[in-house]
Amino acid sequence: MSTKNEDLSSSQTVSAHSDHIMTVSTTSQRPPPPEKPEAIRTRFKVIAAFWAVIIFLGFPIWWKTTSIYRASLPIPDMIDWADGKTCRPVFPLEIRVETPFLPEPEAQHLVRTTQHTLDDLNEFSAHHLRLKLSNDNGDDPLQEPADTALTVRLLLQEDLVNPKSELQHDTTQLDVYYTPSQVPPLSSVNPPLSAYIAGELQQLFTEEKAIIAQILSDSPATGAAATSQSPSAMLSSISPQLAESIAKRLRRSMKYADTYHLAFSLFTPGAEPSSWDIQAAVHEYIVPLLQAFSPISNFTVDTQVQLYATFAPTAPAPEYDEEHAAWTLKPEDLSAFINAAEWPLSPSIGPGPTINFILYVPEAAQSPLVVKDSLATSWVVPQWGGVFLLNPANSTQLRHLSREDLQTAFLTFSHQLLTLLGAPATPAALPFRLQTLTRIRAASLLLSASSTMGSLARLTESLPSIPIPATVATSVATTLSHLTSACEHLRRGRFQAALADARVAETAAERSFFEKSMVGQMYFPDEHKVAVYLPLLGPIGVPLIVGLLKEVKKAIALRKARQVS
Amino acid sequence: MTVRSLFSLLFLAAFASFASATSDYHESLVLQPLPQSALLASFNFQSNDSQESFDERHFRYFPRALGQILRHANTKELHLRFTTGRWDAESWGPRPWNGTKEGGTGVELWAWIDAVDDEAAFAKWITLTQSLSGLFCASLNFIDSTRTTRPVASFEPAGTHAALDNLHLLHGTLPGEVVCTENLTPFLKLLPCKGKAGVASLLDGHKLFDASWQSMSVDVRPICTETSDCVVQIDQSVDIVLDIDRSKRPRDNPIPRPVPNEQLVCDTSKPYHSDDTCYPLESTSEKAWGLSEVFGRSISGSCPLTEGSADGAVCLRVPHEREVHASPGAVEARKADGYTRCFTLESSTPFDLMIPEQQATAQVPLDEPVLRAERTIVGHGQERGGMRIIFDNPSATNAVDFIYFETLPWFLRPYVHTLQATITGRDGLRRQVPASQFIKETFYRPAIDRERGTQLELALSVPAASTVTLTYDFEKAILRYTEYPPDANRGFNVAPAVIKVGGEHPIYLRTTSLLLPLPTPDFSMPYNVIILTSTVIALAFGSIFNLLVRRFVTAEEASAMRAQTLKSRLGGKIVALRDKIRGKSKTE
Repeated sequence: MSTKNEDLSSSQTVSAHSDHIMTVSTTSQRPPPPEKPEAIRTRFKVIAAFWAVIIFLGFPIWWKTTSIYRASLPIPDMIDWADGKTCRPVFPLEIRVETPFLPEPEAQHLVRTTQHTLDDLNEFSAHHLRLKLSNDNGDDPLQEPADTALTVRLLLQEDLVNPKSELQHDTTQLDVYYTPSQVPPLSSVNPPLSAYIAGELQQLFTEEKAIIAQILSDSPATGAAATSQSPSAMLSSISPQLAESIAKRLRRSMKYADTYHLAFSLFTPGAEPSSWDIQAAVHEYIVPLLQAFSPISNFTVDTQVQLYATFAPTAPAPEYDEEHAAWTLKPEDLSAFINAAEWPLSPSIGPGPTINFILYVPEAAQSPLVVKDSLATSWVVPQWGGVFLLNPANSTQLRHLSREDLQTAFLTFSHQLLTLLGAPATPAALPFRLQTLTRIRAASLLLSASSTMGSLARLTESLPSIPIPATVATSVATTLSHLTSACEHLRRGRFQAALADARVAETAAERSFFEKSMVGQMYFPDEHKVAVYLPLLGPIGVPLIVGLLKEVKKAIALRKARQVS
Repeated sequence: MTVRSLFSLLFLAAFASFASATSDYHESLVLQPLPQSALLASFNFQSNDSQESFDERHFRYFPRALGQILRHANTKELHLRFTTGRWDAESWGPRPWNGTKEGGTGVELWAWIDAVDDEAAFAKWITLTQSLSGLFCASLNFIDSTRTTRPVASFEPAGTHAALDNLHLLHGTLPGEVVCTENLTPFLKLLPCKGKAGVASLLDGHKLFDASWQSMSVDVRPICTETSDCVVQIDQSVDIVLDIDRSKRPRDNPIPRPVPNEQLVCDTSKPYHSDDTCYPLESTSEKAWGLSEVFGRSISGSCPLTEGSADGAVCLRVPHEREVHASPGAVEARKADGYTRCFTLESSTPFDLMIPEQQATAQVPLDEPVLRAERTIVGHGQERGGMRIIFDNPSATNAVDFIYFETLPWFLRPYVHTLQATITGRDGLRRQVPASQFIKETFYRPAIDRERGTQLELALSVPAASTVTLTYDFEKAILRYTEYPPDANRGFNVAPAVIKVGGEHPIYLRTTSLLLPLPTPDFSMPYNVIILTSTVIALAFGSIFNLLVRRFVTAEEASAMRAQTLKSRLGGKIVALRDKIRGKSKTE
């Protein structure tokens, strides 16, 4: 090739101009004389110089210019959180006992014995009740007091055979009525009144316990811990129906968010009704509920009226049922009821998920419209919203839906909203259910933020080419610190504070995981780099490497020769 | 007078709502045959929601999706236009709605945004364009800072605003956007009756986008009456100019075919007229057409929400003596101007109009436009070019005053000092005059590369019966490799200029959008560069390295060495192999 020609021509010039005795003979072919040591040394130096430039200059520059910024993350900490090694969520619920009609020692004795019975009853150590007399102002005045989950008031009532309890509907208060004769003497070990109170309390918190156990066991971090008091043990002790209904509720409920957008829509296949008394209905049935929820989440409310909303062409049409004189939708077809392609149910703008409530007024020819078999007129679409079929009372079409017409629908919607937000089904008192929801949310947020941390840690380890900006490191630090304090608050029974910290942790965790600038690098494949580097590195790299190999070979040969000699 | 009456009719429909009620819905369709077998159809849909319910987010007629976007982007007034084609002012006369509801080619958006300062307003504007982009399936998200301007004199808010000082007007255009069915579908979804009832049931993407010209508009503005109850009004309109002959073609067989011989009307007086030769005569009768023929479907009854409004929903502008067959049940009302008749529709009864072929009678006269404008790019070569704008004042008596507003992309760098004007009278004489003679005021905001475009607003006055030509030169910038769009060789769109004539009720004109060819590189360039430089470096490096490292010997020595090394070694190996095989065969 060209190099060979070059060699040939240059060798001729060398031979023409050199003073060396290189006689050009055509007959005998003599090998060249052995190379001079200086020439060998020079060649070695040349190759070494080239390699020195490459290693000490070229490589660092290449490394510097093509490396990506990866902020250091506390990977072990993050994985510990995800595995549940750092924090084991516990729920010590403080229950205040008010005993206006009992003397101090007797009251204390009652509380002590009740606590004892409670502890015996409880098989799930992560969630336990702590009774406290209301006049007992705590042991440590410096410590922030724990939230009071429930107040038990012991009230004296004559002419009672057995003690009786009543949960207040608008506060978190349980009234227990007893007769003076039931007050346990100081000597009694297991008085019936204590057993009664303990049983009542235990029953009140059964569902909450089950839900928390379910959440903990669903999470890989806390579910795996195989102790006798583990969540799975707790779960096996409750009735299968309750477990099933709790699991169902958890699947249906929305993921926790700071802000939920509620969208109430009136859909009708014709042109009527085209107006509804929505303002009054929302104010009466929805706003009070939202106010009660305000410590947990914020809400926005949107409403719209949509006429000519027809079913999707692929959706099965309702069938007429002679027996019930009604049009029926098959339960399995309910998922196709909402015509997502045409009905304008776009999510609201702004952060947070949208919960849709659909009030569907069927046309007169298809009224009444009910769900087959169950004859229900409403259902919840898991993690999305609720539907209510409003069949006008008389067959004539309504032009305007008054507040009275909307009452059933909106009561159903408020019930569906509670379900979608994950509130427990029992007991009836709303403040109590909200308290429970606070604890449930705190637990699930804590676990979800922890697992996000774990995912992020695994992601950064498995993809060495993605950049990690400093903001991610900051967010991770925020998450970890708030997780720690949330865990601490939980341990001390301050659930509101725990929820607040868990919210911050969750937001920061999501922000760090979904950081936009981390994604960009993924689209620069390695083939691309090869295509760019190869034309340059091929022609340069090959002679350099060959030269190096030759030198190495020679050096080895030399060494061998020396050893032999 | 006559076109004025069309406007007054359209405006009547538009303004009727102020008087009638605060929370109402109106829709109308005005049909007017235009010369050369064109048909103008103006659809208008207007609904009001009270400001109170809008603020509380209870949407009844107002679409929730749009309402949310406006709230989120602090937008108080919004104007959005989707346009394709060119309005042929020469044959069709002035624009419907006086140009207030038509945009330039592509997409045009302007809005008044409530914000504390310019930066906040721009942030909200970006939010607005991004959200609208999703709502209307249009590339509105490409309206960035280089395509956004803040016009000073060209637009006035159309609604009632309490505090004007915090409102920021932003304007953006996408001249290259192709408007099509994917924009019509969300547009129709915003209507309370969707496309299912009322005049909107005529709107079919296939016919609409087959038109010679079409424009869709969405206007949102707050309106307060003296009694201080405010409404938020959304006004949607679709204006199309259809070619009747083209639209009448059946959809399953749209290829035009020659008229059969026996139906040809020939000039028999010609000497060469025979069975196989024909000089076609122009038809003197007006063509027959019907709603269902032209639009492919009939109106499926009125939208029930419009019940109670006194005006007819469908108006037809043909002379009263023209025969028109309407579906039974529709109530016809003739207007006093002699050209307009309106039909009130019944709900759930389909409505159709048939206009039979009839000997031509009087035409609905078209008004003369107040101004004609034309804008072209002149010059040649890849480096420089020029812009020429021609304003023609057809009025013989009155000078016309107007604002000329144009935005130029940053890669088109105008030299404003080259701005020159010539005036041509009706006598055809061209005279070069200083531009300052016509330009009364100038607002010029120069471009910043990759940040913002040029904004030029001129207050001009063109004398009666004359044509003024403005020219200026520009230079084309060279873009970076990544800044070229995928179809770079097609050229770059330059947004249409907007011309506002008059003050209180302005008339708007828009020029066509322009195509600017820029020098485009060969897009395989970076790889070629990599390969070429690599080769050069490799060559240089290779020869230097070889010179330094190789040992030089004579040719004989080299061949001796080769014989010694390669050949002998190879030969030896072959011998060894042969021996091996032989030895093996021997043992066998």
